[in-house]
Amino acid sequence: MNIDVGALASARSECSKLLDEQMGVIGVVISSEDGFDIASAVTGNLDPSKIAAMASSISAIGIVVSQEASLGASKSITVNTEDGFVYIINIELARKPCALNVIANSSAILAQIIYNCTEIKKRLSVS
Amino acid sequence: MKEYKLVFTGTTGAGKTTAINAISEVPAVKTDVVNTDESLNKKFTTVGLDFGQLNLANGDRVRLFGTPGQSRFDFMWKILTKDAFGLIILIDNSRPDPLEDLAVYLEGFAQELSTTPCVIGVGRTEEHPAPSVDDFSVALAEKGFSLPVIPVDVRQAQDVILLIELLMAQAEADW
Repeated sequence: MNIDVGALASARSECSKLLDEQMGVIGVVISSEDGFDIASAVTGNLDPSKIAAMASSISAIGIVVSQEASLGASKSITVNTEDGFVYIINIELARKPCALNVIANSSAILAQIIYNCTEIKKRLSVS
Repeated sequence: MKEYKLVFTGTTGAGKTTAINAISEVPAVKTDVVNTDESLNKKFTTVGLDFGQLNLANGDRVRLFGTPGQSRFDFMWKILTKDAFGLIILIDNSRPDPLEDLAVYLEGFAQELSTTPCVIGVGRTEEHPAPSVDDFSVALAEKGFSLPVIPVDVRQAQDVILLIELLMAQAEADW
């Protein structure tokens, strides 16, 4: 996927900033619609390429579910787990459809992450 | 009424989505997105699953699932083959090394193949006759598998139905 160098730098910076500044975040990955890792900042053994592929599948299934239920365009998906959550929001990077994926443990606050992701989405849409 | 779950898998561009579209009696569910992988000569690619449905003459129903082709989506292979009645592996003979492609899927589905009937459909054999069906059978035998292999054009509903009939026959033989 060809992404403008400036947009790519912004994406990487946003991933690192979210990881560093938000409590409980253990991985941030921006992925292409077809499941490639574009930019990421992760801790531990998280594999950005695996996360990117999984996010692509989850997002695509979310889209067909929302179409089937006539609920309009899919915007985001949250996977709540015993020890944290995964939040996936559809974004645009350099006018290409992508997904911003955040993996967080239970010390993270979902609403705070949603707010931050929405702000990142706005910033990247004009980068 | 019995319900069967069949899974189509195989290389990108082998025709999994096309095969399901060819025989599904309900509008097929597709999760195709724009392909950004320049090594693949296709505009769209499946990233989640395909789904269709076929009603048999005896009232039984076949639910048809298609997997993404690329191995980076192998987690979906496991999810979709859970409780599957059978597996159809589609190979595109126009690709550089179809026998190696087959090996990838034999390995990727090794656990399922020990308990699940499977048939192999090889596409684009008219323009790309090598490797032959016999070559595939030999490659399978070398890995300890004895599975039916047939040339198919998955755009043709009768070819896809034939794959399913072979799968049913394979299942009966396994019983």
